[in-house]
Amino acid sequence: MGYGRYVLFRLANMFVVLILVTVISAALFYAAGETFLWDLVMSHVNAEVSAYRQQYPTASEEEIRRFKQEREKFWMDYYGLTKPLWERVLITTWNLMTFNFGKALQLRTPGGSDKVIDLILDRLPNTILLFTVGDLITMAIGIYLGMKAAKNVGSLLDRAISTFAMVTYSLPMWWTGMLMIMVFSYYIPNPFNPYEGLFPSGGILSPEVPPDPFLRFLDFLWHLTLPVTTLVLVSFGGWAYATRNIVLGTLQQDFVMAARAKGLPERKVLYGHVLRASSPAIATSVILSVVGSLGGAMISETVFNWPGMGNLAWMAIANMDFPVLLGWMYVTTLIWLLTLIVIDLIYGLLDPRVKVGIAVKGT
Amino acid sequence: MGFKEFWEEFFRYKSGIAGLILLFGLAFMAIGAPLLAPTEAYENWLNDEYWVENPEGVPPTWAAWLMGKNLPGHIIMTDPVEEDHWQEPPPWGARVYRWVFKYDFYYDEPPKDLMFRVLGITRGEKAPLIRIKIVRPDEKEITITCNYKLSERFRDTNCISISVTGTKEARFDPLSKGATWRFAEKYETEENMIKAIGMVIDEMDIVFREAGPGMIFGDTPLLHGTYKFIITVKMYNPGDRFDGMRVIAAGKVYGLLGTDIRGRDLWVGIVWGSRLALIVGLIGSVVSTVVGVFYGTVSAYLGGIKDEILQRIYEVVASIPVLPILILMAAIFKPSVWNLALMMALFYWTGPVKTVRSMALQIKEEPYVEAARAIGASGWRILTKYIANQVLPYTFALMAMTVPGVILTEAGISFLMGGEIISEPTWGRILGDAHGYSKMWWWILPPGFMICLTGLSFVLIGYALDKILNPMLKR
Repeated sequence: MGYGRYVLFRLANMFVVLILVTVISAALFYAAGETFLWDLVMSHVNAEVSAYRQQYPTASEEEIRRFKQEREKFWMDYYGLTKPLWERVLITTWNLMTFNFGKALQLRTPGGSDKVIDLILDRLPNTILLFTVGDLITMAIGIYLGMKAAKNVGSLLDRAISTFAMVTYSLPMWWTGMLMIMVFSYYIPNPFNPYEGLFPSGGILSPEVPPDPFLRFLDFLWHLTLPVTTLVLVSFGGWAYATRNIVLGTLQQDFVMAARAKGLPERKVLYGHVLRASSPAIATSVILSVVGSLGGAMISETVFNWPGMGNLAWMAIANMDFPVLLGWMYVTTLIWLLTLIVIDLIYGLLDPRVKVGIAVKGT
Repeated sequence: MGFKEFWEEFFRYKSGIAGLILLFGLAFMAIGAPLLAPTEAYENWLNDEYWVENPEGVPPTWAAWLMGKNLPGHIIMTDPVEEDHWQEPPPWGARVYRWVFKYDFYYDEPPKDLMFRVLGITRGEKAPLIRIKIVRPDEKEITITCNYKLSERFRDTNCISISVTGTKEARFDPLSKGATWRFAEKYETEENMIKAIGMVIDEMDIVFREAGPGMIFGDTPLLHGTYKFIITVKMYNPGDRFDGMRVIAAGKVYGLLGTDIRGRDLWVGIVWGSRLALIVGLIGSVVSTVVGVFYGTVSAYLGGIKDEILQRIYEVVASIPVLPILILMAAIFKPSVWNLALMMALFYWTGPVKTVRSMALQIKEEPYVEAARAIGASGWRILTKYIANQVLPYTFALMAMTVPGVILTEAGISFLMGGEIISEPTWGRILGDAHGYSKMWWWILPPGFMICLTGLSFVLIGYALDKILNPMLKR
């Protein structure tokens, strides 16, 4: 199979997967939310009918009944309840595929917009800021420690990292967040303000934000500290362990022996040759991790009250706001699938051995 | 590899042994839950009426020792030191019951609350009356209620419950609140009484401190000694009866793990939660791993266009954002923990597919499989005898590694949805209840610690199994 056909095959494949994921999710959401939407229609209609009664106290029962029917039809149309389930699912899928995300049922941006796309664009930067900063720190620490551990296999550091990785593997990030909040927002007081903790327990900016941009930035950093620390704490162990295993695999290859035989200093062998040879695998994990975090961490963001994508998804579920949930789901899935393909294609371009069949395993 | 050799090798790994010990501990907790914590308490986890006597949000007993203080424990007094019963002459002919309870107070702080309960009382036409008096060691008396009627409000609970602090106003009559204030009035300065208006006062300070100016703010020294609680109940109708009488000095500390904000014994939740976590974790991981391994093997074995189709289905399921969908499904179907585990398996089977498929693909090309095919072995025979045989042992390693993920997801769902979907006290749900009470470390620490420990035990075991059973890691 030529490269061009390979690209086409991957893209077509992604497209099929995307459509199917969207159809399945939409069907699940609509089937799930049927009763909820009916309740919503009834509450709208009841509110309007009582308003109508107040406005026209002389209206006869017949008129009220007609008004009620008319409004019912309007709201059912509005929420698409007049159409059968499969038709609604297909329409929604089409709308999502054409990037027509529609309007939220209840959620609003701080600016008051009810467009789903605005809601997502409002939240996405917050998640990117939190997770990109967190991931970068995590990777720097993780890769550094992983290299060190691989260099001295069986050393105290190596064993400590393996143990720490195992412990953090089963550590819920959101619980760690709760602990951090407990310690740093409640038990350790703020030296400048005895009524506050050392760090805020949630949110992204203080309620009375300083107007000065520099102070604003400091305030933001102050809010960012606890979530980022939590993220780094629970994930750097796994990173170090993974890096260690990748590097260890490379270390056993012949070219390393050759480099050593040439008399290169160990430092140069490690960072010049080994890290370079291991970098595609590490880079893949880095990209997948960053992209995978764009959906946000639902529970951790809720714990930290961080207005990111994960929190948006949770708000959408809690309020049964299906358009938002579907939009969220579509955007995150699309970005994820696209990334998988891009990685795959770059690999296919760089390494002709890698072709269809060897996809990258997600983290 | 034989069974014996396997164990011999397994015990060479310290991590495997550590994991196994942890798992045995957890299994003991899960199986022995009815012995460690009463089943009744577990079944009544959501029944506020059941926990009404417990102090709300107090740390565990050993916390007092950590703080270096002698704090009052939770004491339920059911045996009166004096008991009396007589009939009044007509026209009313009331039956009168009188009890005296004794409470030795020698702690560094007053108890959290005092509660008086007449249990299982039934009333006829004329309501029973109750009088409660506290006699302090300095002979001063506080009359909590002198002529209290079982009001209509409490009729269906069949209990007269009076709390001195009146913090349980939803279930307890707050009537007693005035009594302590009237007592303080006699000894306090006018200035302090005016200052106290609108302030949050701990009524226990008034009861358990020396009478004098400042008592209302807890400034006077504690009054140690024996307190007497005198309770009189007068019943008018011949059919009236009651089941018992008790006085509760609610502790500032409680039990092994303290209580949550609704007075529930957290030890019960932690112990029974282990059962739920293991059920969810094991069912979820076993079902999803078995399905995933089967799927991956079959897909590799079939090959060609069938493999392609199976791989597309796999990709679709693997790309669905699991957590939101699971939460939504949980919100709608309100599953039991068993069904929740199965729901998770619906998405988690994708985990082992990729690894197992590539493993099976490799085995399929081995010369001995080719040889078997050449002498006419059936497809089913090759699948079970040659491929599954090699893949299956590794399945156990995969299972162990899947458990932590399943438990974390269940905990996350319970945390977010809390009472709306899960009626049992899972650890995640306890944490969900604790969200927002950040200062109660005894509430936040243990459930998360247990989640972590359970996950860790399986990771340790899985790590050892992986080393032993994964054919790709074999040296």
